[in-house]
Amino acid sequence: MLLATFLWSCGKPSEPLYQEQLLALGALVDITIWGAEPGMAQAAGNALTEDFNRIHNTWHAWKPSALTRINEGLRNNGNVSVDAELLPLLRRAQELSLKSNNLFNPAVGKLIALWGFHSDEPKGPPPDAQAVARLVARHPTMADLRIDGATLRSANPALQLDFGAIGQGYAVDVAVEHLRALGIHNAIVNASGDIRVIGKRGERPWRIGIRDPRGQGIIASIEMQGDESIVTSGTYERYFEYHGQRYHHILDPRSGYPARGAISVTVLHGDAVTADAASTALLVAGPKDWIHVARSMGVKQAMLIDTAGVVHIDPLLAKRIHFEAKSPPKVELSEPL
Amino acid sequence: MTRADLLAIVLAVALLPYLYFTYWGDGARGEQARILVGGKPFAVISLAHDQRLSVPGTLGESTLEIHDGKIRFADSPCRGKQCVHSGWLELSGEFTACLPNRISVQVLGREPRFDSINF
Repeated sequence: MLLATFLWSCGKPSEPLYQEQLLALGALVDITIWGAEPGMAQAAGNALTEDFNRIHNTWHAWKPSALTRINEGLRNNGNVSVDAELLPLLRRAQELSLKSNNLFNPAVGKLIALWGFHSDEPKGPPPDAQAVARLVARHPTMADLRIDGATLRSANPALQLDFGAIGQGYAVDVAVEHLRALGIHNAIVNASGDIRVIGKRGERPWRIGIRDPRGQGIIASIEMQGDESIVTSGTYERYFEYHGQRYHHILDPRSGYPARGAISVTVLHGDAVTADAASTALLVAGPKDWIHVARSMGVKQAMLIDTAGVVHIDPLLAKRIHFEAKSPPKVELSEPL
Repeated sequence: MTRADLLAIVLAVALLPYLYFTYWGDGARGEQARILVGGKPFAVISLAHDQRLSVPGTLGESTLEIHDGKIRFADSPCRGKQCVHSGWLELSGEFTACLPNRISVQVLGREPRFDSINF
């Protein structure tokens, strides 16, 4: 009897956890679903693969897509008619760009192409300094994009759109809405590291580990609260090396060069698009100005790791986060956001 | 104390090492890796033994290397080699892929400390 009680208390019922990796175009997507029927979870996996593929084919910045057709039209100073389904993201990008004081600037597609990041394999060399300066001087911003009904035109011939900094966050938001429509209310959607969670894992919250941008392992963990996104932008994600120097892909639209001062920024926010855009903008802003940009973008919880490895974190996130690294980093608490 | 009670106690003590490793072990480190090709299961392999493994993908063979409880893409026939640059995976829940070659790898653990990894 004693043994039976002991074994029963150790045994765990099989958990209604469904996990699948989707090899979508341009992204590896990990979905975790709690408490749904296996058939429903499987159907959700297939539906999400289609979502991610469709978004990839629509917004790809250099392979033929709806976006490259828009850019071609804008280059020729024409009016470009677009499908109504593209308008929400275009408007959202405009709004976020304005709030970030153009530090998140999807209008600098030409600059990104000049650096060779419109390639599966960016190699360098870095572009000619004068060519960079010429593009920066033309200062294309999302305010130059005029949206009239379903017609776009550009007030600045240098404007070319690139949604690399929010495309993945947008896809994650679309996927989560799709899961909800299918009746799934407890899940994680993780697209190449960009995460949005809904609900819980049974009785406990979903637990997320944040990878250490300084190397291997997990720097910190956090328990998510209901519907919430966590997105990190890091200079280690895409880069090329040339003559021993590393050039990463997060360009500062003000200088035209890779942003300096921070190696990663993690943002927690309700939706993944805002978290995605803000993580880029805050990284560009750097350790001195990130707080102002976070405030103007409505971000309440964020963490920036500077090039010296110092963690700058707001008090709200600091209360929730648990540092996991064996040698804890130096942490500097910022003012509240 | 009856013989049955004694037996129960002996068995309970014998179970302690299992319980220790299950509930107090380093749950963050993975034990196995699941490999998918084109989204379909290809293999689940232990990370306990160092080895190199060839996995046939769409473009050709990718080489996975297991060393010291970690796994990585050592080589792949893709152009960008982003899979190779993404380095070692060792924590339960970590994943990477060679998207052009349609091969993905995820580290599995018995009792993962994290439900997903942000990077």
